[in-house]
Amino acid sequence: MPLPIFPYLCEIVRLEWVRKFFFVKTAPLVTPSHSRGFPELTGKTCTHALFCMMACPAPGAIDVIKTTEGWEPRIHKGHCIRCGLCVEACPNGVLTSGRILESMFYDHTRLSFSFRIDVDTNLCMGCGNCAVACPVNKVIDAQMAYGGRASTDQLLLKVSEGKCHVLYPELCTGCKTCENHCPNEAIRVSRLLEAVHIEEEEI
Amino acid sequence: MSLLQSVKNLVRSHSIHVAYVDVGSCNGCDIEVLACLSPRYDIEQYGIYVHNNPREADILLVIGAYTPGWEEKLHTLWEKIPDPKAAIAIGNCPISGCLFNRPHSLVDPPVSKHIPIAAEVPGCPPRPTEILSAVLSLAPLVFKDYEVAKR
Repeated sequence: MPLPIFPYLCEIVRLEWVRKFFFVKTAPLVTPSHSRGFPELTGKTCTHALFCMMACPAPGAIDVIKTTEGWEPRIHKGHCIRCGLCVEACPNGVLTSGRILESMFYDHTRLSFSFRIDVDTNLCMGCGNCAVACPVNKVIDAQMAYGGRASTDQLLLKVSEGKCHVLYPELCTGCKTCENHCPNEAIRVSRLLEAVHIEEEEI
Repeated sequence: MSLLQSVKNLVRSHSIHVAYVDVGSCNGCDIEVLACLSPRYDIEQYGIYVHNNPREADILLVIGAYTPGWEEKLHTLWEKIPDPKAAIAIGNCPISGCLFNRPHSLVDPPVSKHIPIAAEVPGCPPRPTEILSAVLSLAPLVFKDYEVAKR
């Protein structure tokens, strides 16, 4: 009995298989809509609250830039890690990314901020750079001089008795300017982010 | 264009050999590069093959924020790759140092200070599709008519 080679080949080398083997079917190169990409502008007005910059964990990833139309957050690719915290932190919904805004709406969540300033009194040498650099101090006492000497006590940071003291920590906006200007790394600002659940009537 | 050149173009467009080097990352981007090999993304159907041998590579994928241990080695590795060649920075780390670029850290980004980088794929980590489209869009720019452009 001769070998049924032709039916055998027809069974193995099917036309469908040959087509798939030689003419590739491209993988889906599209990004799904739920993917959390780089944040994009929604077109709502930015009020320069800077919560996006406070929430951002990556150095240099987001800046709020003044344009002719007003303030505008700008994402720097190559720095942004697409965590979506700026989208959640924004009180006005200026940014959007993936399904973050929708899930915040359905879950009734938002981020709450608090800032904590720690001064290491062993390292602090009372130079007053932090108090002079602090933008909150600058608003309260624009005349603040070298060494952190000021006429008022209603300040966020003040140098007295050779050490920096935090007087009103609730005024802090978490910008970390003091931390960047401290020559001794004595002052540390921690940004505490909490996801809180808000009641429906508050929205 | 000569016939030889068109044959070379045809062959090179379906045979892109990739080597990847991790110069100090968190392994997130390594996982995404390896995900390109998985059946879902399947880079081999585009004619991209991953070998971890720089001597037979065309494209070097650089991952990581450049730690001091790579100071001599990365440039030697780049020299070993035969022409035509290109390097792609994968992820934020080789571009900016990302989260590791902080005071008192030892990393020395960007990698483009040390070897010439032809393309950058931002993301922490980038999606496999982004890596794949970067390789596919860079390859014709570098390899097509290479001998003509060199002359």
